[in-house]
Amino acid sequence: MTEVLLLGRRATREIVRYPEATIPTLFIPLFFLVVNIGQVSKTFPSSTPFLKGQGYVAFQLPVSLMFAVATATSGLALVTEIDLGYFDKLLVAPIRRSSLIFGRLTADLVRGIAASGLVLLVGIALGARVQSGVAGAVLIVLLSALFGVAYAGFGILVALRTRNVQATQSSFLLFFPLLFLTPNFVPFDRLSPLMEALARINPISYVIVGLRSLVIDGWDLGKIGVCLLVTIALGAVLITASLRVIATYDRN
Amino acid sequence: MTMTFDTHRVEQPSALASGSESAIVARKLRRTFKGGIEAVRDIDLAVSTGEVFGFLGPNGAGKTTTVRMLCTLLPPTAGTAMVAGLDVVREAAQVRRRIGVALQEIGLDPVQTGRELLELQCGLYGITGRLATTRADELLELVGLTDAAERRTKTYSGGMKRRLDLASALVHAPDVLFLDEPTTGLDPASRLTIWDEVRRINAGGATVFLTTQYMEEADKLCDRVAIIDNGQIVADGTPEQLKAEMGRDVVSVSLDGADPAATEAALGGLPGLERVAAEPGALALYVEDGASSIPEIVRRLDRDRILVGAISVARPSLDDVFLKATGRRLEGQQRSSQELEEVSR
Repeated sequence: MTEVLLLGRRATREIVRYPEATIPTLFIPLFFLVVNIGQVSKTFPSSTPFLKGQGYVAFQLPVSLMFAVATATSGLALVTEIDLGYFDKLLVAPIRRSSLIFGRLTADLVRGIAASGLVLLVGIALGARVQSGVAGAVLIVLLSALFGVAYAGFGILVALRTRNVQATQSSFLLFFPLLFLTPNFVPFDRLSPLMEALARINPISYVIVGLRSLVIDGWDLGKIGVCLLVTIALGAVLITASLRVIATYDRN
Repeated sequence: MTMTFDTHRVEQPSALASGSESAIVARKLRRTFKGGIEAVRDIDLAVSTGEVFGFLGPNGAGKTTTVRMLCTLLPPTAGTAMVAGLDVVREAAQVRRRIGVALQEIGLDPVQTGRELLELQCGLYGITGRLATTRADELLELVGLTDAAERRTKTYSGGMKRRLDLASALVHAPDVLFLDEPTTGLDPASRLTIWDEVRRINAGGATVFLTTQYMEEADKLCDRVAIIDNGQIVADGTPEQLKAEMGRDVVSVSLDGADPAATEAALGGLPGLERVAAEPGALALYVEDGASSIPEIVRRLDRDRILVGAISVARPSLDDVFLKATGRRLEGQQRSSQELEEVSR
């Protein structure tokens, strides 16, 4: 545990000292939030039934939260470490290899809390009201950060598998189709039949729906529970795969 | 001590191999990479506790692959290796507690300061709190980086990075220290500094396994050396033994435009001549007594009207040992030696 904390502290320090790596990842979700609201706020006024009296910003906010936390930052940091040779130095230390991944994920959790907290505040400043209250807002931040941790497993997996900076950087692009094949602009029942079918089999949809419910509906435990389960399942799959790769790294 | 100059491996490790005092013992160690590339071919190694052991060879000879296997970073395809009395495959975790490693690629995190990096490294070896701070201070002092301790390592020069990397390999006072080409790419002054530090570390009791492509580095630092070429050990022994077994002085005849074949023919049958090796722009004559051969060499060249440049005599160097063992010289040796001479002056 100590080694995870030590490595986590180092990775967090890296985020703080390299703001140029984090700022662009925050710019995109905030940009989308502002632009999307500007484009469709007249189309979806607060009288629109699915907005339940709120502005469109409340509906879009969860999408921006996910954009803010789903990054390849950890994967990129890891692949850079491999390139520089520092990763070998860590591998030869008498620590569990899994610590190298959990240390990175610790930093992802910290980064995710900070990033989602900031985006949530911007959303509130733009008029969104969190119907589930302060506790709901805290849960939104935690769930978002947890999703960021789960998604970071993918970047780490690509970094360990490819050991290639470009490939790891490109891995983030895979998130775009996943995020757009969801009820990100309108609810499920407003999508075309094909899009609805695709959105319903996309696990990311249920994370968005869960977060959105906390903003618009209040405490819908069913939707929140599914959101949490999907996030945990996604994390379990991606992080387990990463752990398997690091366990056999250069062992064959 | 055994010494073979054919291109096959040394079949038996030296007598030190079987002793209980061995810090490193490898038997028939082999590593084959994907595509059938045989980086290391059934090598035997034995390094005694407290030794500075030099592992010499050109780029691609198999030095780094060997080090990575001994450091538990890479499993052998075949064979066994024991480090500090522990099997590098079956007891890898215990081996890692007993070794320090500074790999060829300097393993530093550019975002951390020198002190942070050392304190983290201490933490990974179970040294925390005040002990870690004290240990980091000691090591920064040891490698002369106290003044740069609070700077991020990305601002360090190549020599400073190498020294910090070395310090980070020492946080837990390892029994065996692996240094993979610790001076490659460094300026001559930094190289001399690293040599001093290696001597100091060894004087403190650590066994040092050092790979290098610099002959004079092996000559100056190492108690024993092994020469690896194309994945096989082609010679091993103390530098003095290896040079003594050459048994010959080396007379170097700079051709300065003279025909190599005609020059070699003129000098053929020279009394005491063992063999002639052609080098770029020169011939190396391995003779029994270099000084007394000079008049006869001059007489013969004069007789055949061959004009050559300088003629010089030298005792065999490890580079000559390498030449004899592999049929070629290590690249960059001459330049490296000249640079060091300039710095020494």
